[in-house]
Amino acid sequence: MSKSINLTLKVWRQKNSKTKGQFETYAANGIDTDCSFLEMLDVVNERLTVEGKDPIAFDHDCREGICGMCGAVVNGQAHGPQRKTTLCQLHMRQFSDGDTIVIEPYRSRALPVLKDLAVDRSAFDRIIQSGGYVSVKTGQAPDAHAILVGKEYADLAMDAAQCIGCAACVASCPNASAMLFVSAKISHLALLPQGNPERETRVQEMVAQMDKEGFGNCSNEYECEAACPKGISVSNIARMNREFLSASRKK
Amino acid sequence: MAGYLSSSIGRKQIVAVTGLFLTLFLIMHLSGNFLIYKGPDAYNAYAEFLEHLGTIKILARVGLIVFFLTHITFTALLVIDNRKARGAQGYAVSNSVGKRSLATRLMPYTGTLVLAYLLFHLCDYTLADHESVRSLVNGQNLGLYGLVYNSFKNPLRVAFYVLGMIGIGLHLVHAVQSIVQTFGFNHPRYTPLVKKISFVVGVGVAVGFASIPFYMHFCTMSACSLGGY
Amino acid sequence: MNLDSKIPSGPIGEKWTKHKFDMKLVNPANRRKFEVIVVGTGLAGASAAASLGEMGYNVKAFCFQDSPRRAHSIAAQGGINAAKNYANDGDSIYRLFYDTVKGGDFRAREANVHRLAEVSVNIIDQCVAQGVPFAREYGGLLDNRSFGGAQVSRTFYAKGQTGQQLLLGAYSAMMKEVAKGSVTLFTRREMMEVVIIDGHARGIVTRNLVTGEIESHTADAVLLATGGYGNVFYLSTNAKGSNVTAAWRAHKKGAAFANPCFTQIHPTCIPVHGDYQSKLTLMSESLRNDGRVWVPRTNGDSRRPELIPESERDYYLENKYASFGNLVPRDIASRNAKIVCDDGRGVGSTGLAVYLDFKDSINRLGKQAIEERYGNLFEMYERITGEDPYATPMQIYPAIHYTMGGLWVDYNLMSTIPGLHVLGEANFSDHGANRLGASALMQGLADGYFVVPYTLGHYLATTKLEKVSTDHPEFKKVEGDVRSRINQLLSIKGGRTVDDFHRQLGLLMWDKCGMSRSEAGLKEALAKIPEIRDEFWKNVNVLGGNDEFNQALEKAGRVADFLEFAELFAQDALHRNESCGGHFREESQTPEGEALRDDSNYCYVAAWEFNGVGKAGILHKENLEFENVHLTQRSYK
Repeated sequence: MSKSINLTLKVWRQKNSKTKGQFETYAANGIDTDCSFLEMLDVVNERLTVEGKDPIAFDHDCREGICGMCGAVVNGQAHGPQRKTTLCQLHMRQFSDGDTIVIEPYRSRALPVLKDLAVDRSAFDRIIQSGGYVSVKTGQAPDAHAILVGKEYADLAMDAAQCIGCAACVASCPNASAMLFVSAKISHLALLPQGNPERETRVQEMVAQMDKEGFGNCSNEYECEAACPKGISVSNIARMNREFLSASRKK
Repeated sequence: MAGYLSSSIGRKQIVAVTGLFLTLFLIMHLSGNFLIYKGPDAYNAYAEFLEHLGTIKILARVGLIVFFLTHITFTALLVIDNRKARGAQGYAVSNSVGKRSLATRLMPYTGTLVLAYLLFHLCDYTLADHESVRSLVNGQNLGLYGLVYNSFKNPLRVAFYVLGMIGIGLHLVHAVQSIVQTFGFNHPRYTPLVKKISFVVGVGVAVGFASIPFYMHFCTMSACSLGGY
Repeated sequence: MNLDSKIPSGPIGEKWTKHKFDMKLVNPANRRKFEVIVVGTGLAGASAAASLGEMGYNVKAFCFQDSPRRAHSIAAQGGINAAKNYANDGDSIYRLFYDTVKGGDFRAREANVHRLAEVSVNIIDQCVAQGVPFAREYGGLLDNRSFGGAQVSRTFYAKGQTGQQLLLGAYSAMMKEVAKGSVTLFTRREMMEVVIIDGHARGIVTRNLVTGEIESHTADAVLLATGGYGNVFYLSTNAKGSNVTAAWRAHKKGAAFANPCFTQIHPTCIPVHGDYQSKLTLMSESLRNDGRVWVPRTNGDSRRPELIPESERDYYLENKYASFGNLVPRDIASRNAKIVCDDGRGVGSTGLAVYLDFKDSINRLGKQAIEERYGNLFEMYERITGEDPYATPMQIYPAIHYTMGGLWVDYNLMSTIPGLHVLGEANFSDHGANRLGASALMQGLADGYFVVPYTLGHYLATTKLEKVSTDHPEFKKVEGDVRSRINQLLSIKGGRTVDDFHRQLGLLMWDKCGMSRSEAGLKEALAKIPEIRDEFWKNVNVLGGNDEFNQALEKAGRVADFLEFAELFAQDALHRNESCGGHFREESQTPEGEALRDDSNYCYVAAWEFNGVGKAGILHKENLEFENVHLTQRSYK
């Protein structure tokens, strides 16, 4: 059953990437527990606007947990306290009356804050550009059934391909490493015959780009897997390590 | 190769492979140390044997130093990168969601502790004179055995060695499974087993090494030596 | 305004082949001299940008999100149709064509639909080659499932995330071209205006959503792949950012808007909970393969669903439509849900919901089989509602999901503005008055991968275009217009938020232009919309300035366009005094309450010409001819 709760929000406010930010405290009273977290922020923003205060900027789009655009660190956890749940799918029934909620942007050198809770994730796009694809042009494809893929591999590839690129892995990693994101793409394509011809250059190029963007290294702490709203497994990181080693041996 | 050594994964794998050799060294070291329970003769003979390995000894020492320095250097490079990657502004609230064990969290600290411990240990035994007054027990020169016997009568030293071993143990609990992951092995069935092995290796090495200072501290020459002195 | 559909002559099965040969080509060496702008990076936009980049054109791709991968195509769950006949159940290109024309309730252009069915097979090949992890059988071959409105299994899927996987495929193909330098990417850019010089679309003006900079971009052709306008209803299954702005701005510059009233209501969405609700969540229609839809037989039966015995349940779709049962097309499933709820037999706290029950399937196939098919959807349902659908039936209700209407395009996907092409959901062409499940992904990719790469070349090869630069007076003028409109929005500083106006508009549209429309209701809407719009321009409160990251300003611009567009929507719905597909006019129904089409008066595409804000649009008709699929009243009984 839904009920109404009163909350205190401590929200990171930062005008743009050049200025320093600070926390501001807001009361969020009368929040329906059936609201999603972003709907709660909508309510707060409506009230701020009426008071003539700048509403809190946060990225979001689909609000059904698939576009990967939303995300913030809530009480020290990327996407908040519910496992395998994006911020837009987190509902306020996960909180109790009187709670104080600290909301911060993802923090990493490679993901600079644009405003308040919105960060620049274009580094992810550049990593994909460096090799996260199969080099096939439109019209070159053979018949779909010409490529057989065992169900086991197809399913594993699908598990890796589910990554939504939200960067919660970077946010939650003590080293701000992007390895879960990068390894998910490398795994997805390495597990399929279509990705096989380019697998060695792909892993080398993508890892090089990842390093260049200024992400940290993996110290096998597995926070990323726990924070990932799609439950992408760290076994993908192991696969990437293997792919990288084997590619480096040859070149 | 330059690309490999400057890449995040390459560096991590260098740390892992040097760590693996250092772990194997520790296990060999430990099995040798257990000879202390056989008494001064056996132990000193073992020490003597090692002393006179000649070229092999030099190679082994140089190898160990190289592995150790490589391990530390590459770890330092990774840590510096990681600090930079995290950015200038840290989180106000940090709340682990995951499965980070204590051993994992403490890796940088246990690593530093092990380094400090090692420097002390090298001066204390490895590089010390094995035939000095520190080796005299009941007026008899018992060589390295005597040195160990005498020095562990000091409870502070015992405490420091035990602390060092807790550091090594924790370091290994994370490290062994981490090596396996870093070289790309992760399997739903075997990874849990690897984590258990990692735990057993870490605890085993720590308890094994730490047993010696305790034993040496509490035993008296007549009661604990089997050599008949 | 001249509506020349440019449908090629000849038998339906040969039109596209013949047309491909008849079209002029651009020499590969000359292609890089042509600049092409693609606005929107969903399935249609990303696939077009990738394909045109591969061919050698100089492409600039724009999206308002932080990455092209966020486009709302990503949220499509169920699957993509293709006439592969891998299931050996009698499918063919002709059958897919036939089903789509019939499913669209005879308001789509036959030639376009046939082309769509033809290229559907190439799409699957292309996506598989890109590494899209479609579901497979144990033998390694692709698995298919059936979908609403079809009696064959022709739907390819990747768990419940088919749209995501197809979009990531198109996105990665485009990123490959970005790396090569043939596509330049502009993210966090909103298209504010299309620029027309000498009668041709020659560029766009955008706002940089981070810095507020107003930027001009030249091109030899502009492709809009900017999606649908479902958010005119405020609550819809669309992403929050989905908007009509690009299409509406083009319309105001001379592109005809076709059939705006044709909107699709998706039958299986999670019901509305409260006023704070910001969007509706769709549960894939594939759920109807294994779920049974029912309501209690008696009004106001408030027992828990598990406690209602079989004899007191009304499986109304199975009872009414024996041959299609729970798999009737979306419009029929939606309207019947409304009928039973209006009848007082709806369930849940608002009475605006029906049950979708998996008990029988779980008993028959086992929980594990159901989990494999729909696990992620069930999880999502539980996260949102707090109820476990394995134990208790889901509650569902229809919601706005897709818009079949859009900018009018000819067979070459070109709008009434030369050089301005429109792809995917943003155009009107293939789905008529109702879209079948798993056809949106097919159309988006067909337009981008296999249609526009051919037809755009023809336009460029046959059109003489002078070089233009952003210094051209027209660019300067449009930039000025954009700035003054922004300044106007910022200077009002009234008492109501943008969302408040959007919500008000949405409620009005849902009440009067939603699942059921009447002359009186539509006239009321037509009277009310200008009032809301006038108040908006007097009393909206947009804080902050232009030269910053200002989400309220972004929304305000979009809502301002919805407020103009809504009027055209209602006008179109009022003029079309027949029921067809997603458009149900209460005045036009059979005695049993089924939709009654009026082919003698309305068998045409209504393409509207802009005539000023607040003034009725000018109607142009493109008559539809059905030479292959003969006009019949749809029956799924």
